[in-house]
Amino acid sequence: MDQQVAGTPVFTGERAHAGYRLNRFAMSMTDAANRARFVADEAGYMRERGLNEAEIDLVRRRDWKAIGEAGCSIYLLIKIAGAVGQNLLQVGAHTKGITLEQFMATRKGH
Amino acid sequence: MGRIIGGVGSSHAPTFGTVWDKGQQHEPMWAPLFDGYVPVRHWLEALRPDLFIIVYNDHMNRFFLDAYPTFAIGAAEMYQQADEGWGKRNLPDMKGDVHFSWHLARSLVEDEFDPTMCQEMSIDHGVMSFMPMLSDTRWPVPIVPIAVNVIQHPLPTARRLFKLGHALRRAVETYPKDVRVVVMGTGGLSHQLHGPNFGVVNQDWDNEFLDRLESDPEPLTALSHSDYMERGGTEGIEVINWLPMRSSLGKTVKRVARTYHAPLITGYGVLALEPA
Repeated sequence: MDQQVAGTPVFTGERAHAGYRLNRFAMSMTDAANRARFVADEAGYMRERGLNEAEIDLVRRRDWKAIGEAGCSIYLLIKIAGAVGQNLLQVGAHTKGITLEQFMATRKGH
Repeated sequence: MGRIIGGVGSSHAPTFGTVWDKGQQHEPMWAPLFDGYVPVRHWLEALRPDLFIIVYNDHMNRFFLDAYPTFAIGAAEMYQQADEGWGKRNLPDMKGDVHFSWHLARSLVEDEFDPTMCQEMSIDHGVMSFMPMLSDTRWPVPIVPIAVNVIQHPLPTARRLFKLGHALRRAVETYPKDVRVVVMGTGGLSHQLHGPNFGVVNQDWDNEFLDRLESDPEPLTALSHSDYMERGGTEGIEVINWLPMRSSLGKTVKRVARTYHAPLITGYGVLALEPA
């Protein structure tokens, strides 16, 4: 079910199903040894985890917006981002379609 | 017979841990929030409860989508900290109360709640991020964690969570020992972590929620998940975890402390209440 709230997709069971491989790979980043293996050979590790070439390419391009749209939970997405040295603000800005600098400029006065 | 002697609603966030561990809690950006926890901590230290029941949510750390429980309750002697993807903080494990957990399971099932019971249950920032602001980190008070699915829809309704609070109260009051319990509910307040509205905080809604939760909470159960998400963001739906805390205290309450602060991409709040 493709439910949206104010243009934002709601993480439904159907979306969790569509993004299951990406989500399962991301979950493996909760283990330090897996993180080290992923960082050492990103594509090899993702293939081993059963991701297809299109999904591997999304991660290679750090396309957080597309990974989210493919059904990856934001809570799992930030584990992939964290393993490659990016944080929630960078991920969030990307899914909004702007740069981190542009986003932070909107936070002035906060 | 046990008794519920207080309730705490609190936000949780990995940022709390980062700020705390770096000693930045007195910086201007964070002091208005962290200072708000100080009176709550002093109140808890004076109350000296025997147990914290903590209604929280896991963030894909202990529980994964392969088998995702709607309600999961810890029944462990110790609760380890989860590695969320960037290593653990330097905090000891938290101790549990196995006997109370199984009493709670029996009482909830009798009340037609059917939780997943967990003899192993690592806990993430959903518990660990705000607890150092409320307790000595030697963790003198044991916990019973209750994880609620507020991530993979369909979620339990606001009304269901309100009823959970009533069931928690019955469980406490039927416990054979004179246990004095503080119930915590944690999540929110408004935040939107992705998409076109990334970073949007709704301070008006957050303060309205805090007002209504304290004075007249039951109408909050008539709001749908969409109502909550339109006001507070798709991740802000976590705030329904505060409802069982409030309903467990009975109809009227006395406020002990309340703080709200929205420094960046999340509305943060803490609310401490006593039954009146």
